[in-house]
Amino acid sequence: MAPPIVTTHEQPTRKPPLTSKVYDVADFSAAQELFHSNGWTDGLPVVPPTRPAVEACLDWAAMVPEQLLGVEPVREQPITAEKVAINAVMAGCLPMHFPVVATALQAMLQEEYLLHGVTSSTGGCAALIVINGPIRLEIGANATFNALGNSDRATSVIGRAVRLALINLMDVRPGGIDRSTLGHPGKFSYCLAEDEEDTIWEPLSVVRGLPLGASAVTVMAAMAPRQIMNEWTTDPKEILETFAAEMRANQLNYSIYGGNYAIIIPKQLREPIQAAGWKKRDISEFLYERARVRRGDWATVGKGSVVRDRADKIHPALQSPEHLLVIAAGGPAGGFGAVIAPWMGSKTKAVTAAIGACVDCASPKT
Amino acid sequence: MTIGVLDPSNERHAAQARLAERTVSLRGKTVGFISNGKEGTEGYFKHLDYMLRKQLGVGDVVWRTKSNYSAPAEAEIVDEIKKWHAVVAGVGD
Repeated sequence: MAPPIVTTHEQPTRKPPLTSKVYDVADFSAAQELFHSNGWTDGLPVVPPTRPAVEACLDWAAMVPEQLLGVEPVREQPITAEKVAINAVMAGCLPMHFPVVATALQAMLQEEYLLHGVTSSTGGCAALIVINGPIRLEIGANATFNALGNSDRATSVIGRAVRLALINLMDVRPGGIDRSTLGHPGKFSYCLAEDEEDTIWEPLSVVRGLPLGASAVTVMAAMAPRQIMNEWTTDPKEILETFAAEMRANQLNYSIYGGNYAIIIPKQLREPIQAAGWKKRDISEFLYERARVRRGDWATVGKGSVVRDRADKIHPALQSPEHLLVIAAGGPAGGFGAVIAPWMGSKTKAVTAAIGACVDCASPKT
Repeated sequence: MTIGVLDPSNERHAAQARLAERTVSLRGKTVGFISNGKEGTEGYFKHLDYMLRKQLGVGDVVWRTKSNYSAPAEAEIVDEIKKWHAVVAGVGD
């Protein structure tokens, strides 16, 4: 008896092919020399981006190689998933890290982020990437010890992947598009997760309008972190006065103009603030009022020539309380917080985007 | 055994703009300045204006300033370029 004939309408699954040029190199060392000699790195060694590694990233994110993540707005460079995945592999990303990298770049390609300006400016900022939601735990992003430094694999490689993508896909190389006078170490990697498990405050992404439980990234064109320290009070106002003083110092020494600021509040400082019943909104409103300077104070730091006839004009560091990004992160001990200033006032705006969602389908929160 | 590695650069280049025709002489022509608005541009463009008019016989110099020094010039300014024979995009820190 003949076996039954089975028919199916299912088509065999075929992956769309990668289209990037392939270079055959002798070994790992030869790969390093190829990438360094072409200006394809940040100066550190890279993981050779092989076809299987890149395909694994795309598979994890359910993206096809040609998927357009966005278009660089000034020179109209298309940014595809395949090319971003190559740079993510080079940075050391595992497939599970790739959706965060892709979403961060999608957020940076939103008009309000002003990607060309922030990557080409002599001001030398970097993209600060803040991760919220369950994906932090899935990828092992650590939000405690050394939160702004080399805290863990996930945040290190995600931040680096974004930088490599800027270098290779948008020519943001020092002396090329990148005209930074100094830059700062965050240009290697500048990514952290929020410590949502050890705070009663709403996550940053929720404050900025996304639903609780959604994984998200917030990107901000940011200067280097300025650490503050106050271990001698439990009064919320006194603790926050230290943050306000650092913001005012930045206004005088760097840029007087208001924009997004981020502050990192570690456990030792946030516990008394939380115990006093303060929420993130209360912190934002307090700092909105306290972080402001008189234009005339520029004269005290050698900038008297640009005060002109506006000495009494008041410049708030924040255009509104909503411009403050309050982030719970840091090791369990130590009264060390950080103020992260914007690149240049409000010319760029922080963008929050959900991971796995279409950022062009709805207006991101700015 | 070799390793096949993928090109990380953007192999697809953006559409290239076509260069405008070069002008042979500036005498009697209109030159536009597009300033990024920073402090340093004022002295630079002021002197360039003087040189163009006095030394090269330029007929008119049009000054325009971008509202955001880190963003491209506004569409209205870009549209005006068609009326000029040459343009100087100035950066002054």
